[in-house]
Amino acid sequence: MRTPRLRLLGLVSAIAASLTLAACSTGAADTDATSAAGAEGTITVEDNNGTQTVEMPAQSIVALDNRTFETLQSWGVELAAAPLDLMPETIDYKSDESIVNIGNHREPNLEAIAAVEPDLVIMGQRFTDYEDEIAELVPDATIINLEPREGEDFAEELKRQTTVLGELFGKQDEASALNDEFDAAYDRVAEATPADATVMAVNTSGGQIGYLAPHVGRTLGVVFDWFNFTPALVVEGASDDHEGDEVSVEAIAESNPDWILVMDRDAAVAADEEGYQPGADLIAASEALQQVPAVQNDQIVVMPADTYTNEGIQTYTEYLNQLADAFDAAA
Amino acid sequence: MTNPSSTSTVAAAPARRDRLDWKLCLATLAVIALLGVSLFTGVYTLDGHGEGSPDMFWITRVPRTLALVLAGAAMAICGLVMQLLTQNRFVEPTTTGTTEWAGLGLLAVMIFFPTASLLGRMVGAIIAAFIGTTIFFAFLRRVSLRSSLIVPIVGIMLGAVVSSISTFFALQTNMLQQLGIWFAGSFAPILRGQYEVLWIVAIVLVAVFVLADRLTVAGLGEEIATNVGLNYNRMMLIGTSLVAVATGVVTVVVGNLPFLGLIVPNIVSMFRGDNLRSNLPWVFLLGIATVTLCDIVSRTIIMPFEVPVSLILGVLGSIAFVLLLLRKRRYG
Repeated sequence: MRTPRLRLLGLVSAIAASLTLAACSTGAADTDATSAAGAEGTITVEDNNGTQTVEMPAQSIVALDNRTFETLQSWGVELAAAPLDLMPETIDYKSDESIVNIGNHREPNLEAIAAVEPDLVIMGQRFTDYEDEIAELVPDATIINLEPREGEDFAEELKRQTTVLGELFGKQDEASALNDEFDAAYDRVAEATPADATVMAVNTSGGQIGYLAPHVGRTLGVVFDWFNFTPALVVEGASDDHEGDEVSVEAIAESNPDWILVMDRDAAVAADEEGYQPGADLIAASEALQQVPAVQNDQIVVMPADTYTNEGIQTYTEYLNQLADAFDAAA
Repeated sequence: MTNPSSTSTVAAAPARRDRLDWKLCLATLAVIALLGVSLFTGVYTLDGHGEGSPDMFWITRVPRTLALVLAGAAMAICGLVMQLLTQNRFVEPTTTGTTEWAGLGLLAVMIFFPTASLLGRMVGAIIAAFIGTTIFFAFLRRVSLRSSLIVPIVGIMLGAVVSSISTFFALQTNMLQQLGIWFAGSFAPILRGQYEVLWIVAIVLVAVFVLADRLTVAGLGEEIATNVGLNYNRMMLIGTSLVAVATGVVTVVVGNLPFLGLIVPNIVSMFRGDNLRSNLPWVFLLGIATVTLCDIVSRTIIMPFEVPVSLILGVLGSIAFVLLLLRKRRYG
């Protein structure tokens, strides 16, 4: 009976020690796994809610925003808790058993966030609605929200997010490299965009094709703003409530797009299921669409497979390069 | 059956003469005209794309219209059969939880046998729909309900429980979005090559026509049915199976078509009494007409987009449901 009790005692004292350390924020190195090296001491950054002060390096970090995972991972940031259910397989965090799983955004286990006693919570995207609730649960943590803001240029917002994260983790150079890559891809598309070609954006899920409205539609609406694409189908008064609208293949055929841009939702969440049909195949195989220029000339550009759950700057950079390649090839 | 407040009154007139009357011919012509409208309603201009353009008429319009005919007739007749067998006017696949059970069966097949074909999914949906309907019927036979209004409420509650189980499993397996797509009944994805399994329900329709008299007698209750030499339990089993097959197939291919089986048979029996055999063609026609009309509305209301037909049916159906309840209160 001695051993377990001793072990328990050890555990309790270890917890107490780490609690004290966290409370004092001495910043002294300890046996606990510290997050990314680099930034140290008190750092102030600007986020959506104003100026935030963070004691870096943080001992316990919770990341909730899908857009941030790839960046944080590439910088070697260790997370205490994250919504693992919401991550694509392409993110290594997903298989990291030391990270406490918060589940997904529909039924998140917010208590698990409190349990890891975070110093820093990176908020955003699907978890934005829970911000107040989380703030109440972890009053001592600094909450950073870098969700792209409504009414701001989305490209600038993506870069702002990267820049601020770079400041936090002392990865300014890496952050500006990411931003530069994005800018380069962006410029490539801007140059390669064919004049007078008509473009349609769709999403595919469960074997069905949905329409993504220019300017407002999920993930792809924004590219219409960036590059002034001519939409193949313009609908009066199309607004947010037309996001991912049910559209018949007839409507796609009628609008006769030269290019079809696809966000394949199932590629991110259901690709390993049997019977999964990739979005491009779904469109190319459709009997009704055989006469559409986009199908005839093989001008269907699908976003990277993990886009739906990995909408960060890297995904857009990758996608824009693919788009530029496709435009170049067609020119 | 133990329900005293609703009775089936068999129309005294011989059925055979009714079936060929001029009203039925007119109604048939009207439905054919409506189907013609359906064939020529759509975003694609059929003759505006020159040589070599795909023949959208055969790719989308004809399959969609056939699907409307099959699904509309099947769900309306399912409602009629269920109402006869339970002697309750409010019973139909969406008020007994049968549709929700079919959805659960579909989901179970997707989770446990992800490689299953469309046919496999359909078998899962049919089995679950059969189990669900049997549970509901068994419940009705055991519990004596003073008011027929309680019956649909119990059914809807049962359906809600089943659908929350489905939602839970879909949530766990990241299939919530697919579940949503299935359940919002819609004819938009019906294309050549994807609707053909719906022909299975044609067999159900034929079976109901053949068994019409026996189902009518079974509808008079166990004692009367047994007295005239009908194997009551076997008839209940057959009726339940037919309903399960039709509901399972329609749920997998089209989705949920709420209240269709409620509105149609009630309107018909309001005008014509309750002789199943002479009402069948009317229920058949009105079922097709109702779903076709709703589908035309669903694909023109926000053109070039569509709303799911279940939305239109749900609105119409809940109004009809409330009107029926009020009527029942007054006369029932």
